[in-house]
Amino acid sequence: MSLRWWRLAGRNLLRHRRRTFLTGSIVVVGFVAVTMTAGFMAQTFNALRKATIDGLGGHVRLFDPRAEGKTDEEAQAFLLDDWEGLARLIREDRRVVRVLPKLSFFGLAVKGEKSVAYLGTGTDPELERAAGYAPEMVVDGAFFSSGDADEVMLGAGLARSLGAKAGDLITVMTTTPDGALNAVDAAVTGILQYPIKEIDDRLLFLPYRAAARLLKAEGKVHVLAIRLADDDQTDAAARRFAEVARAAGRPVAVKTWLETAAFYKQVRLLYIAIFLFTGLVLAVVIVLAVANTMTMSVFERTREIGTLLAIGMDRGQVKRLFLYEGLLLAVGGALLGAAASLLVRAILNAMGLQMPPPPGGTRGAVLIVRFFPMAYVVSFALMTATLLVASWWPARRASRLNPVEALAHV
Amino acid sequence: MAILEARGLTRIYRLGEERIAGIRDASFSVAGGEFAVLAGPSGSGKTTLLNLLGLLDRPDEGTLLFEGRDVSDVPDRERSRLRRERIGFVFQTHQLVPVLTARENVALALWIRGVAEGECRRRAGEALDAVGLPGLAERRPDALSGGQRQRVAVARALVGQPAVILADEPTASLDSETALRLLDLFDTLHRERGVAFVFSSHDPQIVSRARRRLRLRDGRIESDDELPAGGAIA
Repeated sequence: MSLRWWRLAGRNLLRHRRRTFLTGSIVVVGFVAVTMTAGFMAQTFNALRKATIDGLGGHVRLFDPRAEGKTDEEAQAFLLDDWEGLARLIREDRRVVRVLPKLSFFGLAVKGEKSVAYLGTGTDPELERAAGYAPEMVVDGAFFSSGDADEVMLGAGLARSLGAKAGDLITVMTTTPDGALNAVDAAVTGILQYPIKEIDDRLLFLPYRAAARLLKAEGKVHVLAIRLADDDQTDAAARRFAEVARAAGRPVAVKTWLETAAFYKQVRLLYIAIFLFTGLVLAVVIVLAVANTMTMSVFERTREIGTLLAIGMDRGQVKRLFLYEGLLLAVGGALLGAAASLLVRAILNAMGLQMPPPPGGTRGAVLIVRFFPMAYVVSFALMTATLLVASWWPARRASRLNPVEALAHV
Repeated sequence: MAILEARGLTRIYRLGEERIAGIRDASFSVAGGEFAVLAGPSGSGKTTLLNLLGLLDRPDEGTLLFEGRDVSDVPDRERSRLRRERIGFVFQTHQLVPVLTARENVALALWIRGVAEGECRRRAGEALDAVGLPGLAERRPDALSGGQRQRVAVARALVGQPAVILADEPTASLDSETALRLLDLFDTLHRERGVAFVFSSHDPQIVSRARRRLRLRDGRIESDDELPAGGAIA
């Protein structure tokens, strides 16, 4: 059917302006809700993804193949030798921004009478400073002064448990991979606030050299964390690093950030499930509202439909006429919804609303709704499909009317 | 050849256990260019018979020939095509689409045939001129009088150049003066264009305007009279 049928459908919608406005409003609100939620989710996923990659030190992690599938405790025994040699090979790849050595250990942190279990990481202060993530988390004191100092940084939760503050001296005790007990005295140079509370309550950082001395593992690392310039290159780069290491006679196990980011995956899954559920509820509401409007329209226009059938309009044309009305409502509602969505997004982002910390988190964040074009495209498609479904039965009913009965309808 | 030929047409309605004959054993034919009225009181079967003749309803018994072809049992799609291309309808009330202008209402009968927009406009304009409504083409039904609306409905029936126009009590909602003018229009159109008109009425003044008069009572054709040519319209 040509443009004139669309024109007729449009005029039919305008017969009852208030009703069309109300039904259209539901479509607009639905569109705004879907795009806002999707934009908020996209922003959350993006922030969480960045935090996860930052927290892991990079996009790709290389480690001793013997540590694969082992518990953290069992994996302590497996270290990569000559990390600097391996790092040099990796840095030859132009996608690499930096390579961070990581030593993992755990034990007890002692201050005076108090001793608290910790999860420790030995890392290179200069490289961490360049990465920027850890220094940004400092809430008291300062970041490491140098790579050689016997300094320690604590998560805020761990510092609270220990009763330690910047400037205090504590003892860090651990067991070396060989099973020997060792300890180092270090000054608390700063307190960090890690975004995940469970980690914040146990977090301890040592400079790599101090950690290597503590573990008697000089020149060795548990993990080489590799930061890339582009997130999208993660999988390709991971494959390449495995090949490079194998070619150099240094076989390593390789994992991408996503493979180790259980929390990220759980949050993502949870958000998507909530989104789909609310989307489904919204779709049902829209279907019921539009179906009600269209059914009323069919009822009110029964005689007119009878006339159209009598003058020779075939049933398919009658059905299409009502479907066009549904489609116009979808397109109009979606276009207005898109405009409203952009406006609401701009207002929300300008307001700088402070969001509470997520479950298990320690820090809230400013509400930011991201512009996520795919959400607009998908919402448009969903609204169109939803309104087509909603219009289908009333349109079918209209097309199946008996013309004699329809003409006699009062 | 007859445009319409009814052979023993019967239509039974079921109201619960009761069976009511809307029309029973109706046999007659309508020739091309004929001007016929179905006369009779309310409930005599006029509308039922027009619905059968207009392929809006199917007979329970009997046969209906349209232009010599048995159409009693043709599928819906073919009935729609015949109504679209060969039959025009005028109803008791105008039954115009309120959101369309007079021209668009007339053109609607061509739109559904897929006729190009320009031709639709031209032919709709000509049809409105033919029914005496020049200058009112862009008005919507609510800006027209009852008689003008009924003329638009006639133009809509006429624009597709049908073989027959069926009109069910077309003057019932009009005052007597307007009703007679509409009848004049029917007569003029049927004489000038050769289109057959079959309309129903219970008004003796209206019935008297037709040469061919089929009188119905209780669902049966009671009489079928035809005045000699040139001796009818007063």
